[in-house]
Amino acid sequence: MSAVARDAVAIDIDGVWKFYGDYPALRDIRLEAAPGTCLALIGRNGAGKTTLLRVIAGFSRPGRGHIRIFGGEPRDTETRRKMGFIGHGISVYDELSAIENLTLYGKLYGLLDPERSAREWLERTGLARVANGLVREFSRGMRQRLAVARAFLHEPQVLLLDEPFTALDDKAIAVLQRLLREALAAGKTVVMSTHQLREALELASHVALLTRGQVAFHGPSTPEMVADPGYVYARYGEG
Amino acid sequence: MRFFRQVWVVTVKDLRAELRTKEAINSSLAFALVILLMFSFAFDPGADTTRDIAGGLLWIVFAFAGTLVLNRSFARELPNDCLDGLIAAPVSGAALFLGKAFANFLLVLAVQLVSLPIFGVFYNVPWTKQFPELFLVLVLGTWGLTVVGTVSSALTVNIRLRELMLPMLTYPIMFPALLGAMELTAGLVTGQPIDAEKSGFLKMMVGFDIIYTAVSLVLVETILVG
Amino acid sequence: MRDRLLYIAGGLAIVLIAYNLAQTAAQPREALFYIPLAGTAALAAFTALAASLLFLGSRNFQFDSLAVAVTEAGLAFSAASIVNGCFLLHAATGRWWNWDSRLTAALVCWLLYATYLMLRHAVQDPTERAAFSAVWSIFAFLDIPMVAATIKWWRSVSSLRTDWSGARLWNLVAMILVGILLTVVRMRQEEARRELDSLRRITHAI
Repeated sequence: MSAVARDAVAIDIDGVWKFYGDYPALRDIRLEAAPGTCLALIGRNGAGKTTLLRVIAGFSRPGRGHIRIFGGEPRDTETRRKMGFIGHGISVYDELSAIENLTLYGKLYGLLDPERSAREWLERTGLARVANGLVREFSRGMRQRLAVARAFLHEPQVLLLDEPFTALDDKAIAVLQRLLREALAAGKTVVMSTHQLREALELASHVALLTRGQVAFHGPSTPEMVADPGYVYARYGEG
Repeated sequence: MRFFRQVWVVTVKDLRAELRTKEAINSSLAFALVILLMFSFAFDPGADTTRDIAGGLLWIVFAFAGTLVLNRSFARELPNDCLDGLIAAPVSGAALFLGKAFANFLLVLAVQLVSLPIFGVFYNVPWTKQFPELFLVLVLGTWGLTVVGTVSSALTVNIRLRELMLPMLTYPIMFPALLGAMELTAGLVTGQPIDAEKSGFLKMMVGFDIIYTAVSLVLVETILVG
Repeated sequence: MRDRLLYIAGGLAIVLIAYNLAQTAAQPREALFYIPLAGTAALAAFTALAASLLFLGSRNFQFDSLAVAVTEAGLAFSAASIVNGCFLLHAATGRWWNWDSRLTAALVCWLLYATYLMLRHAVQDPTERAAFSAVWSIFAFLDIPMVAATIKWWRSVSSLRTDWSGARLWNLVAMILVGILLTVVRMRQEEARRELDSLRRITHAI
């Protein structure tokens, strides 16, 4: 990874620690992701995957160390414009309609024509038919696809996904995989934490294993990993 | 300029969501009316002495009813992790806070403006006589309540006993502003203009609003992100 | 070494107070401690503000421990001064409470910092708790002058006299020493609690 030139690094995690009081949930994390790569963050429950993603996304501050996204701080508004995040919740409002939700986010992200972008992304996620429906009335799969539309709406350079394939139905998984492949082909950067090793390893170019808040392994994805997702755990994890 | 545009987007979003369900505003209005009624039982509405203190009672009604609106402010972002979406957006914490505060302000002011005529009828006070000054006191007091209440809403959003903690945090801080508002309103509602003695309270309310708005704008990022 | 300093501070406080009590045997007792208690509480508020600002700047949890410790000590001193004030009032006017401007303002300020403690108890995550408390401590401190001014305008009377004569000043020093003692003890407890919390988390993570 050190062969990558400084300015070509999309995400630079430099000696990051995260504390809860005195307890280090993340310990000296050093990771990099170049543009156009997809990093799969794997690890057991409680290893720190969600914590790390949220620190990268700027939801909480690291206790020590720095995160740089294209050289900028995650809390800078300019940097956040380039980032898209899908967490455990869908982050759309039940009381508003699909189009209202996306238009809202379009305005918050400073898009030139929020409503047009909103309609376009409803189209791309197969929700054009229910544009004016309230999210409250959507099925689970539709809600998840709307969440995906929300994250991709502003054409982010960096996508951060926290266990995106968990609890997705088949249609939503297909939509997300298609969009991620297109994004990667266009040179965007993706970091996703996952339990669903198979779906993730199909897309991932790199893999990082987190064990108890530390990086136990970080490197390119190999054919052995794709063939046997348990391989990384067995080789580098703690059994 | 973009800052104020974003503030407006957040305000409109909150107002639209609230007006679609009307949960907070209906319960707030109902609560206000119930307290007004209860005060009428506790204090003889016809007596002259009651008329003197009625303005003060009014602010107790406003403070309690306002809490119901303020509680919803950040709590409405909890379902579906919507708060994450807002914090991740390229909106500064200050813009997010100000947008929400402004929406809360409008909602609480609406409840107050509906309660005022009812109060005037119940207590038979000439509240329209000094209405411009009364409206000024209403605006100053409500903005103070809104700013402190919105900060408390952000602090208590993830706390178990949120509905109890929010008023417990807000009211002691509000003491100076509430006391000032009560003193001023008590006179204004009976048709008396603000005299020199009470003008100090007015200046203090302005100072309170400015200080707490400024401090909140600076510190809200710490509350939201840590 | 630090323990020895604490013992010296405590001993000095006892000596000062005993000496003062002996010197002022003829005077009414209630008046001797009111200013010292209130003064120490005020100093505690300043220290809490400083600790909160320092925490926000450095994110060093020791400042958070200092903030909570000094606030709790300040609450104790403030409560004592209010009760003392009631006794003074009773001696002067025969009533236990008459909305005296100084006592009422003290009571409101006491409530302000009591809400600080309530907030601390309600937040589980230690980092969040420290950050929120620091913010709230600043909010509370800013309110103090406004509370004092407003209540003064509301009730301009104060039946309690301010008396800065010799005995009171030495008692103030004594009270400050006691305050430091209480704060340090409480700080140590908070540090221990934090270490325990992190050990517990480590154990659960295994």
